[in-house]
Amino acid sequence: MESSETEHSQSREWRREKRVNVGPTERKASVIGGAALAMSGLRCISKQNYASGLAMMLAGGMFLYRGQTGHCGIYDAMGVDTVHTRNSALTIEKAVTIGLPPQEVYEFWRNLENLPRFMRHLESVQVTGVRTSHWKAVGPGGISAEWDAEMMEDTPGQQISWHSVGEADVPNKGSVEFKEAPGHRGTEVKVTIDYYPPGGGAGRAAAKLAQGINAQQLEEDLKRLKQILELGEETTARRTVE
Amino acid sequence: MRAVCWHGKHDVRVDEVADPQIVSKGDVIVKVALTCICGSDLHLYNGYVPTMKKGDIMGHEFVGEIVEAGSGVTRFHVGDRVIVPFPISCGVCWYCKRELWSLCDNSNPNSWMLEHLYGDTGGGIFGYSHMYGGFSGGQAEYVRVPFADVGLEKIPDGVPYEQVVLLTDVCPTGYQAADNCNINPGDTVAVWGCGPVGLMAMMSARHLGAERVIGIDRFPERLRMAHSQCRAEVLNYEEVDVAEALQNMTGGRGPDSCIDAVGLEAVGTGIEGVYDSVKQALRLETDRASALRQLTKACRKGGTLSIVGVYSGFIDKFPMGAIFAKGLTLHAGQAHVHKYLPHLLKLVADQQLNPSSIITHRLPLEQAPGAYKTFLNKQDDCIKIVLNPQESTGTARPGSEEAGAA
Repeated sequence: MESSETEHSQSREWRREKRVNVGPTERKASVIGGAALAMSGLRCISKQNYASGLAMMLAGGMFLYRGQTGHCGIYDAMGVDTVHTRNSALTIEKAVTIGLPPQEVYEFWRNLENLPRFMRHLESVQVTGVRTSHWKAVGPGGISAEWDAEMMEDTPGQQISWHSVGEADVPNKGSVEFKEAPGHRGTEVKVTIDYYPPGGGAGRAAAKLAQGINAQQLEEDLKRLKQILELGEETTARRTVE
Repeated sequence: MRAVCWHGKHDVRVDEVADPQIVSKGDVIVKVALTCICGSDLHLYNGYVPTMKKGDIMGHEFVGEIVEAGSGVTRFHVGDRVIVPFPISCGVCWYCKRELWSLCDNSNPNSWMLEHLYGDTGGGIFGYSHMYGGFSGGQAEYVRVPFADVGLEKIPDGVPYEQVVLLTDVCPTGYQAADNCNINPGDTVAVWGCGPVGLMAMMSARHLGAERVIGIDRFPERLRMAHSQCRAEVLNYEEVDVAEALQNMTGGRGPDSCIDAVGLEAVGTGIEGVYDSVKQALRLETDRASALRQLTKACRKGGTLSIVGVYSGFIDKFPMGAIFAKGLTLHAGQAHVHKYLPHLLKLVADQQLNPSSIITHRLPLEQAPGAYKTFLNKQDDCIKIVLNPQESTGTARPGSEEAGAA
């Protein structure tokens, strides 16, 4: 594993004002969950179920406020702070074998702007410099996140690694290895991605959920990469041109 | 166009839906001349298969004429009459290159759904739920067929559609079952299940040189057909102890190879519904799980078990001890249709093989809902149903043509 220096610098960068005690991911979750809860409350009220409807709207409103401001009164009272808590990474690892030489697979990946072609959650990757790029992701429920990334390792035909820098919504780092597969089977592609979710119980739960989705997402992504490289396009069961 | 759509358990309807279009340059659009209902369609009909959605178009056995071709298609032209294999194969991946067509790596966009249960998964299949790719099926007037250059086989002039429609699935499936038995002169091959696949397996075993074939079932009309079409000796498992009868018929040795064309009625996935589906299937189809145990007990030492009936989940009380003690070899899996098509087509054209002899029902597509019921309940001595989408029960549609017209 990497040294924790990156983590330290990142948690330093997260410090804004004292009053903020809800981490960025949790704030987003709060906004979305709060809005959903408030909507359910409205639906209850429209069905003449006033008591639970109002309770839901109140709770929803509280979550919305918490997400917007980053301050949670309940957390304050409990002494919980999910911004300044150091925590460990969530690691996702997946592998796929692609029937092309390592150098070709490497070259496709090395052009980072290709990544959104097979990574569902990425909206765009813009190369901003020799080693730097800007990433935009879209999560479940239309939640979006952006970060700048910097390439760390770049060994042609073998390995690429990168990590987010600055104020990343979800700090992360990733690495992809390309290894010749035995018996002319092509290339073994192994991807490792680490996320650094904000701390606190709720943050960890949300992040775990995200990991479940993302591990599967990464598997699907790699299958799509294989299709694009082996067939020239993604396989589709669509019956009509949309 | 009109298509047979799934609406739920025991509920299929002929709906009006949008015509398919060329989506990828390797596609063709096939105007369906004939399409069959397969025994495995009954899994969908019975609601055992998860990941079916309302409106899904069914059917994976169909032949017809190419009416449109994508810019990347080189082997075929508009007007060609073609056989469409039920497994979809990309032709490029490691498995396709080794003729393991039904295990294609790239043709199932939803392969992750099955991976959770099996560790890995096969390729896409027409009209067979979203976990097999979500491809629209052939019980329709038109079908979008991807990877046309890889999958399709041209029907020779003068060979009617009806003679080759079973080459899409049941015939190659039965042939592979027999091929996996490595039949030697003098061999006896016993086949559990005398439905379409079992009948084709017996025909193929004969063709591959088996001295004797023995068909096992409980439906008199199926046993009759096994006897008349495949020259099989027959056993009704409701009347005799199958393993004992087989021992006595083979001088105490047991059959050299045993084919399981019964299977277990359910398809599992890694999603939550799978456990219930499998349980449901086990509760309803316990007699079917016992077929595999019978095979194991009956087979001679050093013999082969060839499994083409569909299995989906887990089996209890599996006689691993017998497999070990008798040194049996086990083959299983979906047919690699592409591998066998040219050879089978030649056999049919030379009239050495007549798959169409097992077709018992010929109906217009409109009658699909009733046809599914008939097939499910084995009414009216039903063995194989062929539907014609171009034949209307009401007014004739413009451009419709006689089925089987070359």
